[in-house]
Amino acid sequence: MMGELLDIAQAAVEAAQKSGADFCDAYCSDSTEVSVEVEKSSINYCSTVRDQGLSVRAYVNGGQGFATVQQLTTEGAREAAQRAVELARAAHPDPDFVRLPDPAEAEPVPELFDEEMAGLDAGAFVDWCLRGIDEARSVAEDAIVQGGAGAGWGESALASSTGIAVSKRASSAGLSFFVIIARDDDVGTFFEQDMARRMQDLEIDRIGEKAALEALRQLGSRPVPTARVPLVLGPLATMSLTGSVISAAEADGVQRNRSWLAGREGDRIASEVLTVREEPLVPAGLRSSEYDGEGVAREPRALIDEGVLTTYLHNSYTAFKEGVGPTGHASRGGYSSTVGISPSNLQIQPGEKTEAELISEIDEGIYVAYAGISPNSVTGEVSTTLDFGFRIEDGECAAPISTTLIGSTGEELLLNIDAVSSDYREEPGLILPSLRISDIQIASEG
Amino acid sequence: MRELIEDILSDAKRRGASFADLRVTDGEGTSIAVEDGQADKVSSASRSGAGLRVLVDGAWGFAPTNTVTAAELRRCLDDALSMAKAASGHITEPGVVAEVEPVEATIESEAEIDPREIPLADRVQRIFEIEQVARERDDRIVNTRANYADGVGRLIIANTFGTFIEQEATRCSARLSTTAQSGEIRQAANESEARPGGYEIIDAIDPGEWAADVADRALALLDAVPAPAGTFDIIIDPRVCGLLAHEAFGHNAEADAVWAGESILAGREGEQVCSELVTIADDPTLEGLNGSFRYDHEGVPAQRHDIIRDGVLVGYLHSLETAARMGVEPNGCARAQDHQNEPIVRMSNTFIDGGDTTLEEIIADTEEGLLMKGGYWGYVFTARGQFTCNVENAWEIKDGKVGQHFRNASFAGLTLGMLSRVDAVGSEVKFDLGGTCGKGGQGMPVDAGGPFLRIRDVVVGGQQQTGSEQ
Repeated sequence: MMGELLDIAQAAVEAAQKSGADFCDAYCSDSTEVSVEVEKSSINYCSTVRDQGLSVRAYVNGGQGFATVQQLTTEGAREAAQRAVELARAAHPDPDFVRLPDPAEAEPVPELFDEEMAGLDAGAFVDWCLRGIDEARSVAEDAIVQGGAGAGWGESALASSTGIAVSKRASSAGLSFFVIIARDDDVGTFFEQDMARRMQDLEIDRIGEKAALEALRQLGSRPVPTARVPLVLGPLATMSLTGSVISAAEADGVQRNRSWLAGREGDRIASEVLTVREEPLVPAGLRSSEYDGEGVAREPRALIDEGVLTTYLHNSYTAFKEGVGPTGHASRGGYSSTVGISPSNLQIQPGEKTEAELISEIDEGIYVAYAGISPNSVTGEVSTTLDFGFRIEDGECAAPISTTLIGSTGEELLLNIDAVSSDYREEPGLILPSLRISDIQIASEG
Repeated sequence: MRELIEDILSDAKRRGASFADLRVTDGEGTSIAVEDGQADKVSSASRSGAGLRVLVDGAWGFAPTNTVTAAELRRCLDDALSMAKAASGHITEPGVVAEVEPVEATIESEAEIDPREIPLADRVQRIFEIEQVARERDDRIVNTRANYADGVGRLIIANTFGTFIEQEATRCSARLSTTAQSGEIRQAANESEARPGGYEIIDAIDPGEWAADVADRALALLDAVPAPAGTFDIIIDPRVCGLLAHEAFGHNAEADAVWAGESILAGREGEQVCSELVTIADDPTLEGLNGSFRYDHEGVPAQRHDIIRDGVLVGYLHSLETAARMGVEPNGCARAQDHQNEPIVRMSNTFIDGGDTTLEEIIADTEEGLLMKGGYWGYVFTARGQFTCNVENAWEIKDGKVGQHFRNASFAGLTLGMLSRVDAVGSEVKFDLGGTCGKGGQGMPVDAGGPFLRIRDVVVGGQQQTGSEQ
């Protein structure tokens, strides 16, 4: 089938060139997703979704036309190609567009596709869900479990007028449970999840149990005083903050002056204890691939090196406009999405002390188990709720917090990091330690 | 097509389904992106397909396809039945649906001007002109982005009760984002005009007013200072009020969350849960709003749903399934993003009803607090009833007068509690929050609104400690 997909993509490219495209590329995908949903601790829904489609991107005088269709036929590809060229002609010329990238050799990234995973049926996911429900109820009989399990697999192909012709197969499976435990008017909730590209990396047991144990810990939440305090971001909160900061380094926003990191390449934007690397070639990594969404070979690199922003993230448009080489960060969310920019696997370099040791050095502060701490990509400012966390008192996590917000900026949060934990959460390709951040403004009712 | 759809549904029943429904879609859309004076990206999408759902022995199975042929629909039926059978035997809370009278209807598009009749070059020029007004407003405007989108589609909703509805729908939208910069400070403002209807929506935009306002809001924020942190009396505008109604109560009133034990409002029907000044409703029948529709995606006629009346919880938003589970009549709240997703309970146009005072009176009556305008985003954890609303602007209120302009503020609270502290409600209701609500991985057009209202003792997350305590 992969050969067929590539044939269809190449037919689209030929048709777009015949219609007058200066440059063009075509992307096809054929995916299947099977999932089982849990509602109120019962299996509720099973679905199987097969999705096929293609998109063609054509340039005429730099103007871009983009057309998608939800079918995979040579005829459909040609029609989409002609349409993309018509749209490109209707667009304004863009003098900043230079060209699409040339083909490049890349080492294959192994184990992105697992035959066993792609062969799973709904019965397997029903079993995983029943296990999760039982585990949660073994922690608390009255636990209410929501969530589900499933897997997706598929093939995709990319061809371009510059000679790029690549295809890949990939699979992933995961399970996620959100547990609710109520005691009178008090409610504790939390979630746990796991996802992997091969069965041997997937943790099926204890996901429901972990979610329930954390939900129990969230009972009895209370406000804290409004003050400036140190924060310890657990791995999930760390992922939110670092992911958001790296997104602000996408060159499109930077070049357009709508990113708070514009003009900051080479600057110290974070404490020197913070190093964030990108490792796109990790075997079976969740965000691994040898090529980016435009067929550019990806390579490992430091994005933040001892606090210094080392590079912006480019696709071919932003790279050639800037006069630099593409960095392999072009992304496609699927056949219906235009090409954007995003990083692959992020790995934060661990520090020297454990999370528990970092907490033990705090007299009064907040441990953030989870919060969407995402500075606004334009302003760099953040004002949001610390959704799940604990008050730190005398070096230990105490009562869970309620209705507690932070007001800060991305730069303040990054520069005030005074330690990275030595222990970390590891997902395939990702390394997520905890971060300790000094002196951040919080507001609450206490 | 009708014969094929009815054949598939009959087959579903014959093969053991107690209920089945099929949605068939066919549509196309165009979008145009302008940034910094160049309309250099034009896109089109063609979408079609069908989603088949079956209920067998209390288990739901769902299978969609992008290719609407007899063979593919039969493959979907096989897959959906197989999915339901995989789940049956493991169900502790069997799925059910409320029986409803079949509906036969044909709904024509409400568009006055079909956007496809407007030459593409004219659509490009129009959105370019809108962006141009914002771009040329001031030298400190350093980035402008505008997006035009239209979509024309046909949706067939059919089920084993005999419902068969064909509806044509057209949507048009314009969105604008501006970034202003002064020194190291960058600030942004966004606006959108989106609702069911044709190109008349775009024609009605006055760029000199609409786009200039977005630029002016970003420019004004350059002179604002970071908001204080602490507990304040807040006065919120219709946009923030709509955000609050949507996040704090709307999601909690969705009956799938209520039934699943995932809503703080579960089991509280008839209880006083807000100040008696507060009435909240959700109404898809309001004309010309982003969340308006005639039939939901299970074929139930749209209707107004009262959620809170004079502070008392009076009702929830239902699908066929939640209505059956809770023993009430379905009220038409199930919608699906597209044929690849099943219908789930969604809000439409959610609002807090008007009271009997004015903004001026509320401000004059406030000794110390914050006036908040422009809802950016929000979210809620329904099981705990904890929500967050992020706003574009805040102003200090002192001794009944508006003072210092603040930026970067959010407020948060618990659903059961915060709206009990509402003590002043403006009389004029505005809907000003047309956008997309995300739930269960599905995006759905919604609107929200309300009057100006005042809430006492609300936690605000700002950057400044100074002045944080009252």
